[in-house]
Amino acid sequence: MRVRAAARTGIVAPHMDANPIVLDDAAGDVVVVVVEGEHDIYTAPTLRERLDEAIGRGGGIVVDLTGATFVDSSVLGALLDARRRALEARQGFVVCVGEAVEPGVQRILDITGLVPVLPVINGREAAIEAARTNGNGARG
Amino acid sequence: MTAAPDVRLTMPARAEGVAVVRQALAGMADALAFDATVLADMKMAVSEACTNVVVHAYEEADGVLEVDMLADEVALTIQVRDHGSGVRPHATRSYEGAALGLGLPLIAALTDAFELRGASGRGTEVQMTFNYARDGDPAEENPVEGSIGDDGRWDPGATRETPAG
Repeated sequence: MRVRAAARTGIVAPHMDANPIVLDDAAGDVVVVVVEGEHDIYTAPTLRERLDEAIGRGGGIVVDLTGATFVDSSVLGALLDARRRALEARQGFVVCVGEAVEPGVQRILDITGLVPVLPVINGREAAIEAARTNGNGARG
Repeated sequence: MTAAPDVRLTMPARAEGVAVVRQALAGMADALAFDATVLADMKMAVSEACTNVVVHAYEEADGVLEVDMLADEVALTIQVRDHGSGVRPHATRSYEGAALGLGLPLIAALTDAFELRGASGRGTEVQMTFNYARDGDPAEENPVEGSIGDDGRWDPGATRETPAG
């Protein structure tokens, strides 16, 4: 079997709607970047834009991966860059996951040892609370 | 074990193609009755290999990404290939900031066997093998070493933070 995907005009871009990244500012001083679906080198630039926007608001940042089904090293790169800039600006930065984490998300977090670094905690409410405080000199 | 045909995907080496490769891989894994955890490792490793092609293989935008999926009695072997200028360490301009330097360590940790072939001017091929029945976790045999460095790239020599609590 041989599949040739429109080599001349390029393949059809997957719909971003299926893999949304939206900001939720219902928590007031902490903005939540809600990441759902599959994310990789294609959607990483959009994630970086959303994270820039979240950092620009000046408060804490939570990245909620509860609805994410797959993230690769491009996504980790975007998260780590955002974390570094947030902490330099003394803004809190926390990643959260839900009770059941997809293997396509859990595995990369586990084998890279980034759970305590980012940090990754369970539950959005707990993450919002943590992001209110971990930017205040919590560097390192 | 259900028989599955050998598959070759040929597409432009662009970021939007990587998700298409994962979809094809999921279909292949389904036909071969792979465990969901192995499928997750396959998707991750193959995505990283395809991302390397998209980011590193070509100076110009018109390069080709080839993926072969070959099933035998014991394993599924996936070859990700480009016809670029060989391994170039730096990302192309359009993907600046994309390269964490974690792709190959992840591939090594997630595959039952892994081989990188390439020569200057002749392109690069990453061959990854996933056994239908795993003896153990390959990430324990070939763990990803290190952590994020001060420069924002992966540092294989960096000491990891231990989990709090």
